[in-house]
Amino acid sequence: MVVGNIILRLRGSLEFKCQLDSTDVPHVQKVISRTFEALGSQVKAESLVLGLCSSPVFLWPNKGGHATAGEISPNRPCKDLQQLIQTDDQESSSRKSAKKDKKNPPAGIINLTLMTEVTETGVLSVAPTLLRERKKHHLLQTTLPMDCVVSVPSSESISVVCGTLVGALCSQLGDMEKVALRHMKGTALLIPQPFHFLLPAPVGLVTVVYPAGVPDSQLETRRKELHSLFELPDNRPYLRRANALHFPDEPYKDGYLRNPHVHLNHPVLENGKPYLVQGTYSYHHYMQDRMDDNGWGCAYRSLQTICSWFQQQGYVERAVPSHKEIQQALVEVGDKQGSFLGSRQWIGSIEVAAVLDQLLGVTSKIMFNVSGSLLRRELANHFLSEGTPIMIGGGVLAHTILGVAWSETTGQIRYLILDPHYTGAEDLQVITDKGWCGWKGPEFWDQNAYYNLCLPQRPKTI
Amino acid sequence: MCSHCLPPLYPVVRMGRGYIVEDVVEKYLSNLSVPGASCVTGLLIGQSSSQRDFVVLAVRTPQKDTEGQGSPSASRRAGNSLDHLDVEWVTEHARQVSRMLPGGLSVIGVFLVTPPELSKEAQNTLRRLIFAVDKHISKGRLWSLTEEDVTEKVTLHICSKTRKVVCRTFDVRDPKSSAKPADWKYQSGVCTSWPLLTCSVGLDLVFPVLEMHVLPQDMEKCMKEGLQTWAQQIEGGLCLINGNAMPDEVELLGGQKKNAKAVQQMFLAQILIPMAEPQSERRSTASVKVCSGSLTLKGMVQCRAYLHSNKPKAKHATEVIKRDVINTVSSRVEMFLEDLLMEGVDKGLVGVQQGLPRRVFAPVPGMSLCVCDYMFPDECVSDVSDRLKEMLDWETPEDSIDTSQEAVPEAPTIDIKNPVVQKNLRTKSTVDAGPKTPSEDPTEAHKSHKTYYAGVAMAAAIALLAAGTSLLYLSD
Repeated sequence: MVVGNIILRLRGSLEFKCQLDSTDVPHVQKVISRTFEALGSQVKAESLVLGLCSSPVFLWPNKGGHATAGEISPNRPCKDLQQLIQTDDQESSSRKSAKKDKKNPPAGIINLTLMTEVTETGVLSVAPTLLRERKKHHLLQTTLPMDCVVSVPSSESISVVCGTLVGALCSQLGDMEKVALRHMKGTALLIPQPFHFLLPAPVGLVTVVYPAGVPDSQLETRRKELHSLFELPDNRPYLRRANALHFPDEPYKDGYLRNPHVHLNHPVLENGKPYLVQGTYSYHHYMQDRMDDNGWGCAYRSLQTICSWFQQQGYVERAVPSHKEIQQALVEVGDKQGSFLGSRQWIGSIEVAAVLDQLLGVTSKIMFNVSGSLLRRELANHFLSEGTPIMIGGGVLAHTILGVAWSETTGQIRYLILDPHYTGAEDLQVITDKGWCGWKGPEFWDQNAYYNLCLPQRPKTI
Repeated sequence: MCSHCLPPLYPVVRMGRGYIVEDVVEKYLSNLSVPGASCVTGLLIGQSSSQRDFVVLAVRTPQKDTEGQGSPSASRRAGNSLDHLDVEWVTEHARQVSRMLPGGLSVIGVFLVTPPELSKEAQNTLRRLIFAVDKHISKGRLWSLTEEDVTEKVTLHICSKTRKVVCRTFDVRDPKSSAKPADWKYQSGVCTSWPLLTCSVGLDLVFPVLEMHVLPQDMEKCMKEGLQTWAQQIEGGLCLINGNAMPDEVELLGGQKKNAKAVQQMFLAQILIPMAEPQSERRSTASVKVCSGSLTLKGMVQCRAYLHSNKPKAKHATEVIKRDVINTVSSRVEMFLEDLLMEGVDKGLVGVQQGLPRRVFAPVPGMSLCVCDYMFPDECVSDVSDRLKEMLDWETPEDSIDTSQEAVPEAPTIDIKNPVVQKNLRTKSTVDAGPKTPSEDPTEAHKSHKTYYAGVAMAAAIALLAAGTSLLYLSD
């Protein structure tokens, strides 16, 4: 994100409605294009209104940025809009995740919503008329989920920013038209959906429109085009739907905590730095999903955390597997007998690797009988090149390693551990305070036990 | 003492509602000619708020004549017993009058004048009347009542001999509710400072006619469904007042000094509809419907609403103006459909823009309020004046009727090449002023009638025909 810039996000639904007199392709394409053109006019109409979320402010972008609320005028800098947004102070202080806000301050995103004014002033009213038409046709109807994000200097005037937003809407309509026409079959119009991606510098924020209902696996050609356009490496995914930028102000729908480790203070070691997991994962632990696996499910939970990583980085589309599905997979590969199903048997790093392979198509490296001080450089290298969470099992426990840090001078070493033995609720405060996600010293490991590690490897694909 | 700082009427806790009534209503009620032992029914028009209720108009039910013009039997028939009272007639009058009321104003009660010997029976009649009236005027309503709406309606009994007034209320939401006593207090200038809200709402609605539907029979169904969706959008819209989004609980008239001269404030409303993503289904393809045609409704309607002056809040203001927006469109569509039904033959041309009724306004004598009426394209101001006399029982000079608020739409474009249009042009029938086909009930006599498109008689005929009951006509 550019320093000194503000991000504005405009969302809303435009109604897409058209009459097809015949179903032959040229006619359909012409009508679809005309409908998109009409939507473009609608977006440039004076009746378009942008509502500033959580505020009583409304802007008329096609009337020079004229606004309600006396204090704001079109030539004021757009950063003034932020002051008008009413943050719910009472709510945030009572919530326990106040700590979360301290570590990750809101990115200053200004959210706007699309509206239309149905009233008109200064124009004479006209009695209504009714036109009845008898014409057989197919009526195509849907709503287009507009979602535009622009990054502008915070000193830019509101009227200019309004123009930029309307321009972004028009250009998104253009992208949507291309996608709609490309994937249209007969009268089946796939709804074009925008996704935002934060690509590595210097590219930054881009928005790509994908057709709904077409899985990522079938969109590889498009991604190849984009990877080459944006000069992205061709061995890791950046533009799968799961890679889409998650805006800080949006809650996750599934209820799991994401990346609790970012809320920790990383150890400050002399001449040392932390090597951490890359990307995002969800914290899976005992008692979640109404599954009482207290005492036996720790490796299952670690495996779930790893699966969530592959899903969220866009490598797989399947949901995180349940204990049942994990056991099923092991029976299928012949690793376990049928009696394993429904049991409370523990699994180890071998089984974890087997399931990752069977269900996700992910290969893993296994390290056996690692004891004493773990191989720190191997861990560091893993986090640098693969960046996936590591499952470690040994003795009677299984854990997930998310990072490692050591001092070259003093030899002090710390391991970032995500502990699946936690049985409480998704309370970030408790999880970080009590060390369920935390940096541990070498004393965390049982010096007399032998540990096996499962290091999942990133598939080399986009 | 200003009209909105009223002392409590009793020193003890009041049990019932309190109605503040305009002086002109008292005059009207006392001037009502009630021959001999007959009974007179009528409507009470005003506005209810959570704290107070206001009555600004009283209108007697128009005479219906079943045998001839002014024949003696007619007045005898008019009822010296409450059993002969035509409840349906009263409710139909209420429905017609409701269409003439801008937002905020509505029929909030009924009155009944009877000779002293019928006073007891009158209470039962009033109860029947008020429930029937409320039910009938609520039909076809496209907006929903909220928890805050007052559902108590008032019934007023006046003894023709002693002029004694008994005022009671019923909760029309509860069929078992019993009468509660209420206060009836006359005052002057009740509505002089009632704020007025106005706006012009653009319409550009296209309703699909699905393949299984046939025009013109299913037109009503298609329009109703389409209008229902539109009405929900309006109801869910945001209303700006004089360019500002006012929080719901803020008082609309907050700035007014207590002793300032009572003046009617005008507020311009703007309605913003959110274009939000529908939460329900997540489809991946556009829906496809096979249609046999479409109905396009275009125009810009003039809307008006009044609020009372007893500390109204912004949320009340947005509610009354939105309801007027929805009512004015649905009323006109209803009237258009009734007109078609009455004509028998659908001379509606396909491919031609037909004009819906145009809204006009007329001042209420002696008050700063206006009522409205709707003119069909082939009507003139004198028709409006006649209707006002018939429905609201007052004389309106034609030049006081304001027809400038809505313009006549441009001449309809006829698609001459459309074969259906050509066919219709050849067989187009003129309006027949002769007697219509008899109703299902042979005992009722019928009369020729003037073709008021939206006159009481026609609308009553349509409504009752639709309900399968007997016809009644009003002669001119």
